[in-house]
Amino acid sequence: MKKYNFKHIIPVALSSLVILYACNKSYLEVPAAGALSQDVLANKVGVEALLVGAYSLLDGEGSSAGTGNGPWATSSSNWVYGSVAGGDAHKGSDPGDQNLITPIEKWNATASNGYLDQLWQQRYDGVQRSNEAIRILKLAKDVTPADVTRITAEARFLRGHYHFELAKNFGNIPYVDETVTYAAGNYMVANAGNAAALAKIEADFKFAYDNLPESMNGVGRANKWAAAAYLGKVYMFEKKYAEAKAILTSVITSGKTSLGVKYALTDKFSDVFNPAKKNSSEHIFSVQMTVNDGTGAANANSGDALNFPYGGETGCCGFFQPSFSLANSFKVNANGLPFLDESYNDVPLKSDMGISADKDFTPDSVTPLDPRIDWTVGRRGVPFLDWGIMPGSTWVRDQGSAGPYEPLKHLFYKAQIGIFTDGSSWTNGFTANNYPLIRLADVMLLAAEAEVETGGLEAARAYVNLIRTRASNKAGYVGLATGKLASPTNYQIGLYTAAWTDAATARKAVRFERKIELAMEGHRFYDITRWGIGGTELNAYAKSELKQGYSTMAGASYTTGKSEYLPLPQNQVDKMQKDGKSVLTQNPGY
Amino acid sequence: MRKFLRLITVPLLLWGLVASAQSRTIKGQVVSANDGKAVAGATISVNGQKVSAISGDDGSFAVNASGNVTLSVKSVGFSGKQVQVPGSQNTVRVSLTEESSQLNEIVVTGYTAQKRKEITGAVSVVNVKDMKSVPSGTAEQMLQGQASGLTIIGSGSPGEPSNVFVRGITSFGNSTPLVIVDGVQSAPGDLSLFRDLSASDIESVQVLKDGQAAIYGARGSSGVIIVTTRKGRGKPSVTYESYYGVAMPKTGNVWNKLDPQGMADLYWLAAKNSQQDVNGVVTSGQYGTGTSPVLPDYIKYGTKSGYTGPVDLTKYNNNYSKGDIFLIVPANKKGTDWWDVMMDPAPMQSHTITASGAADKSTYLYSLNYLDQKGTLLNTYLKRYTARVNTTWNIKNNIRIGENLTVFYKENPRIGNNQEGNAINNTAWEQPIIPVYDAGGGFGGTAGSQLGNSSNPYANQMRAKDNKNFNWQVQGNVFAEVDFAKHFTVKTVFGGRLDNYHGFYHNYRSYENAENGSSNGYGEYGGYNNNYNWTNTLSYANTFKEKHSIKLMAGYEMLKVSGRQVGGSRVNYFSDNTDYLSLNTGSPIGQNNYSDYYKTTGNSILAKVDYAFNDKYLIGLNGRRDGSSVFGPDNRYGNFWSASAGWVVSQEDFFKNIKFVNSLKIRGSYGILGSISNVGALNQYTTYGGSGGSSYYDLNGTSNTTVLGFYATNLGNTATGWEKDKILDIGFDATVLNNKLDISFDWYKKTINGLLFQDQAPAVVGVGSQLPQVNIGDMQNTGIDLGLNYRDKINNDLSYTVGVNVGAYKSTIINIPGAAGFFEAAGTHNTGNQVRNAIGHPVGAFFGYKIAGIFQNAAEVASSATQDAAAPGRFKYVDVNKDGKINDADRTFFGNPNPAFTLGLNLGLTYKKFDVSTVIYGSFGNDVLNETRYFQDFVTQFQNSKSIPVLTESWLPADRSKPRAEWTAVNPNAKYPIADNESTFSNNGVINDFYKEDGSYVRVKQLSIGYTIEPSTLKRYGIDKARIYVQGANLFTLTNYSGLDPEVAGSSVSFGVDYGVYPPSKTFNVGVSLTF
Repeated sequence: MKKYNFKHIIPVALSSLVILYACNKSYLEVPAAGALSQDVLANKVGVEALLVGAYSLLDGEGSSAGTGNGPWATSSSNWVYGSVAGGDAHKGSDPGDQNLITPIEKWNATASNGYLDQLWQQRYDGVQRSNEAIRILKLAKDVTPADVTRITAEARFLRGHYHFELAKNFGNIPYVDETVTYAAGNYMVANAGNAAALAKIEADFKFAYDNLPESMNGVGRANKWAAAAYLGKVYMFEKKYAEAKAILTSVITSGKTSLGVKYALTDKFSDVFNPAKKNSSEHIFSVQMTVNDGTGAANANSGDALNFPYGGETGCCGFFQPSFSLANSFKVNANGLPFLDESYNDVPLKSDMGISADKDFTPDSVTPLDPRIDWTVGRRGVPFLDWGIMPGSTWVRDQGSAGPYEPLKHLFYKAQIGIFTDGSSWTNGFTANNYPLIRLADVMLLAAEAEVETGGLEAARAYVNLIRTRASNKAGYVGLATGKLASPTNYQIGLYTAAWTDAATARKAVRFERKIELAMEGHRFYDITRWGIGGTELNAYAKSELKQGYSTMAGASYTTGKSEYLPLPQNQVDKMQKDGKSVLTQNPGY
Repeated sequence: MRKFLRLITVPLLLWGLVASAQSRTIKGQVVSANDGKAVAGATISVNGQKVSAISGDDGSFAVNASGNVTLSVKSVGFSGKQVQVPGSQNTVRVSLTEESSQLNEIVVTGYTAQKRKEITGAVSVVNVKDMKSVPSGTAEQMLQGQASGLTIIGSGSPGEPSNVFVRGITSFGNSTPLVIVDGVQSAPGDLSLFRDLSASDIESVQVLKDGQAAIYGARGSSGVIIVTTRKGRGKPSVTYESYYGVAMPKTGNVWNKLDPQGMADLYWLAAKNSQQDVNGVVTSGQYGTGTSPVLPDYIKYGTKSGYTGPVDLTKYNNNYSKGDIFLIVPANKKGTDWWDVMMDPAPMQSHTITASGAADKSTYLYSLNYLDQKGTLLNTYLKRYTARVNTTWNIKNNIRIGENLTVFYKENPRIGNNQEGNAINNTAWEQPIIPVYDAGGGFGGTAGSQLGNSSNPYANQMRAKDNKNFNWQVQGNVFAEVDFAKHFTVKTVFGGRLDNYHGFYHNYRSYENAENGSSNGYGEYGGYNNNYNWTNTLSYANTFKEKHSIKLMAGYEMLKVSGRQVGGSRVNYFSDNTDYLSLNTGSPIGQNNYSDYYKTTGNSILAKVDYAFNDKYLIGLNGRRDGSSVFGPDNRYGNFWSASAGWVVSQEDFFKNIKFVNSLKIRGSYGILGSISNVGALNQYTTYGGSGGSSYYDLNGTSNTTVLGFYATNLGNTATGWEKDKILDIGFDATVLNNKLDISFDWYKKTINGLLFQDQAPAVVGVGSQLPQVNIGDMQNTGIDLGLNYRDKINNDLSYTVGVNVGAYKSTIINIPGAAGFFEAAGTHNTGNQVRNAIGHPVGAFFGYKIAGIFQNAAEVASSATQDAAAPGRFKYVDVNKDGKINDADRTFFGNPNPAFTLGLNLGLTYKKFDVSTVIYGSFGNDVLNETRYFQDFVTQFQNSKSIPVLTESWLPADRSKPRAEWTAVNPNAKYPIADNESTFSNNGVINDFYKEDGSYVRVKQLSIGYTIEPSTLKRYGIDKARIYVQGANLFTLTNYSGLDPEVAGSSVSFGVDYGVYPPSKTFNVGVSLTF
């Protein structure tokens, strides 16, 4: 150590540092942890899995996109945008709870409403997942031509579905196909008008219809007939009634489920909504929900998890309370037919509004009612599935502000706790109850509409009567079905026996049937927009609800020419700029 | 203890005897000429003889010499002194003159150390003694107010991490400074290296704030906190330091809550205000039907709410396995004080034993610390055991090796501080009519009508008492240093941290709440985080011609950050017995598990040059080239550098005559630094993957199984590169008034270009895939830091010190990713985001509608801009764009959570054997959004507790029989809007400035009085030195803020939003410090 010579030591030390540095370049090569590369997925198994990933967003959640206000804003059932805004139901709960819904309910949502941005994000995420399957499919080499066709068709079906969901709410949306990617930087896609968007959606479903097989490996998959039903629905939105009639008729006459079961209405109306009877002959395309699958209820119907009676084991939060008008709509005349002239609101159905639960209350036993009411609207004094008699305001969070009724269609039975409900969540409201995106009754009523618009009034009447016949199955009445004595309700339901000769009346009857058959299923607002009757229908609804004690509707006003669609989310309008200008044209009136 | 002392002292005595056999021993003491205090660590050498000693903590030394000798006494910070000691004299007292306060203090400025007077950058040197005087379980809390330019926002939650920012927020992501403890670098954004240090182990803390932190390159942009731990010094000694105290929570109606009758009255008022009454008769599920409410005897009796009558206790059942739940819950008509139920005086204690010393060739320090800090909130605490071993050895004269190692173990159950729905929040929300326990011995809760949806905080915390988390952390370094060829030193340091955590938790199936879980459950988790750095440097230092002093350093460094975690949970346990619960004993149906891991690496070369001419002109240059695995191959390396210069004006001849100024140095620096804290390991990669919840799907309609699914999890960007932060700093350091006052001042401008932030691409790209961080967004902070230190002695008995730290900055966002020019943050429960980070505005600014007042009548509504749900009694908003209608475009920036300045004040006073010190911290001009009022001040925001003014000071209509639009006020000057059952645009349905408050405050962080006991009285007990003290912490806080506490932490992009903070409590301590 004594005779060292720094002339040598310094260069040695420095060069060893440099060598150390140079050798360590590979030290900075850290592969992606816990992730797969595109190369690993570019094969049949990988592409099939990407397709499943695209299906998985049908439940309205599952990605980080669109989660800000909770999954309720993106529920696959559209309970906010389709049903609450359509007059089926009140928001429910406390007035301040999820109060971003209130402006939507009153048709004056602003473009900065967080729910809208969230909805937009979630649905476009579904679009891109569908596109991703198509993109990677093109890179895969081991896929048979038949599978290429089928996978492409399924992906396009899903892409059509997600775009259709956007188009129903926002109207004028940008259509994003598989060429649009983040990497390519070509994502400033302009919106080219409602019709242009629907045309592309139609093309996707047409492709799916032309290329999908009838039978599929998995009941949850879209098959040829699901595509046909959707295509028919899109035609209805485009007012292409002849095309709609043709294809919807073929669905009704020839359609089969993915497992090969011929489409047919279930015997009992209530079976459509019973999780134990999911994927029946009536379910054309449903969102498959699962519970207790090790994900902490991430595949349950989270979007509807707030929509259960408040207090008790039925779940939580007391949202989505059926409106007075909806309950009144089930009143029928002596022939068991509904009041098409909207006089049903004149004398409201007796309810326990303003009567506390410890005071006596007997439900109306005289007024004739369509039996579907008690599978749609939970009323005090009437059996509530197998939960016993609905007790009234103790199941309602704040009756004075939200009304007396409870939702029913997506409920689970008490006997199904732990089987169709998830055990790992903060509420029982995470269930495996599927949401039927499109079911046979929906298709029949669309077909009936198409018939009316193309002059086939009698054919339309036949469809409506098919629906009513099923509803009139006494074995399916509340009470008997649950093994308890029927409450003394005067259920009446009759068929339209007289021939339909007048298109206007027929139209009214078909539309009314659609309202009560599909109530609380997220369709109503879109139908109203499609029919162009919001200005009269919904303004009358607001007035009537206000009169019956729903003070939230004070100041609510539907503006024709504006309120048909939600505003495009401001956040997205702001983000989609090219040369300092947004490529998105905002909807009229916003 | 005595045995231990004997063990240590016997060999020492022997050593002394051996030494004295050859010559006499000169004993003495080194004191400061300024205040007469002992000077520890002074080197005493005997001229001409190879003998030296180091003074102990009491300044005493003993040195062997023969004949007449001259002692040479040196100590850092003092002028050296030669003392002649005649052969006849065996004792000596040496008083040293303080050279100049702090100028010779050694400051670690990144890989090297400098004397303070040589520094050309902006460095805050923390007065560690003041810092340690603050009793806290976390070191970062002690640092509050101790360094100018350092913002620390904490809470009263034991062990809770604080927000720490150097010179404001400089990133939209993580803005936490780099922490280096004994050369070990923290993982990005992680302060745990520093947080859990045992306070008494800390030797020094300095904060690098300017461009010179470029020596840390890509990790220096948010500032660098450099900490060193204590080394053994002086003669062997053992010290014992301890304090014990009690934190006293606030008492009284801290949330200003209504009592049960008030809640009932409010229900009536709101129903009437919403015209939901029938001729004044209101129906309630809890308070009956009538013109006025009646409190029931039972809030829940089976299925009934609001029940008064006979009860059958045998029907009671709160056990799901025994059939339907049947609760019997008496109404607490007097009201439950939930705050009082949850908060109790909390003891805190700390004990430290340190054994340390230095011999000729080695130093050693061993310490053990036990800290037990109970939280004032039930079942929150921090319990920590820490051990440390720091040693150095000199092998030959030119080789030094050593290590610093600390290990701690801690348990730290906390609530989520400042999170909606935490236990603190629930003390505000839970209604007073709810009893803690029900009639059957179960917990009371919100089950029942009109009781809200909060949960019983006592039940929650009692159920959580068996939840445990354990944390082991080992951190430290080993180093070797070799001097060679006179001027060269090569050093290698390997340092790192490994923390290992494990915990488990129970979920009970509650029955008492309005919203109850669907099953019981149990979960367990564990994992580790590891980071290390290996640093090799070569330094050269020389002085040419006595005037040119040059120091060079070059080095190479490798970094690695990695970790793994694993966990799982099961549900539906047969029993809640905690002894029974493990993952195995739960139901496999609904089981859940997860694991993940991460790893990033980096390497760097670095170099530094410091040149000084004649101690007058100083120049510093440094540079660093960083490589990081998080960037793609094309952008993997980034270069950073800084240049600085100093001019010691007081060394100039023309300055010699200015007696007023003892020293003055003007300095400036400019540097380019970076930050990669916010870039994830996967940023460069487009990856695919998926999980059961995110991409699997039940194609087969099974209701409980799913099929494998994938999606694009990450969209990569290989073009993303280094963030470049430019810092310009100009300042001066001066010592004036006869060395009594030190002043340090800096002005700075910090510009962050190419800020790394997540791409804000529109949703059409599929934003469920993680978008990469890209270089867009610029930010700028300009500000000043000022530090003052004044010390004076009135007479030999009385001296005092005053330290002031002021930091002020203005933050401006210059550019933002994406086309929109802003992004939002701080989501609320319902109404969206309250914070908008936008171009031209400070980071974290509050955004929404400004309230102009309350509409008083129809005429005012009519004459104002059109506004949705406008009505008398509701808010009237400012029509910002004056277009006659209130809409999105009228939202505006209404508050700024950044303080105008923060102030730290340290006062010390010594009188004879007494010492008094205090630390005061203040934050001024910062706004706070009191989000708790969103729930408390509006009837519609769940039926939880409401505040008193909602009932007593809200707008009241004169005649409710008229249509609402025609109402006029009974009390036109009401501060609160009308209490009604509608949540609309015109009350709480949108973000408005109703919740904004001035969050300025001044807090006495600690005030202590100590007494040092005469050594003579201690000797007989074997004690060399003793000090006892009493102390009060958080003695009082001056603020106008109406919430629990104005100190509100958050994230970089949204802070100052109070969702329910765990407030600091007044704490009273007694402490003792003994040296043996």
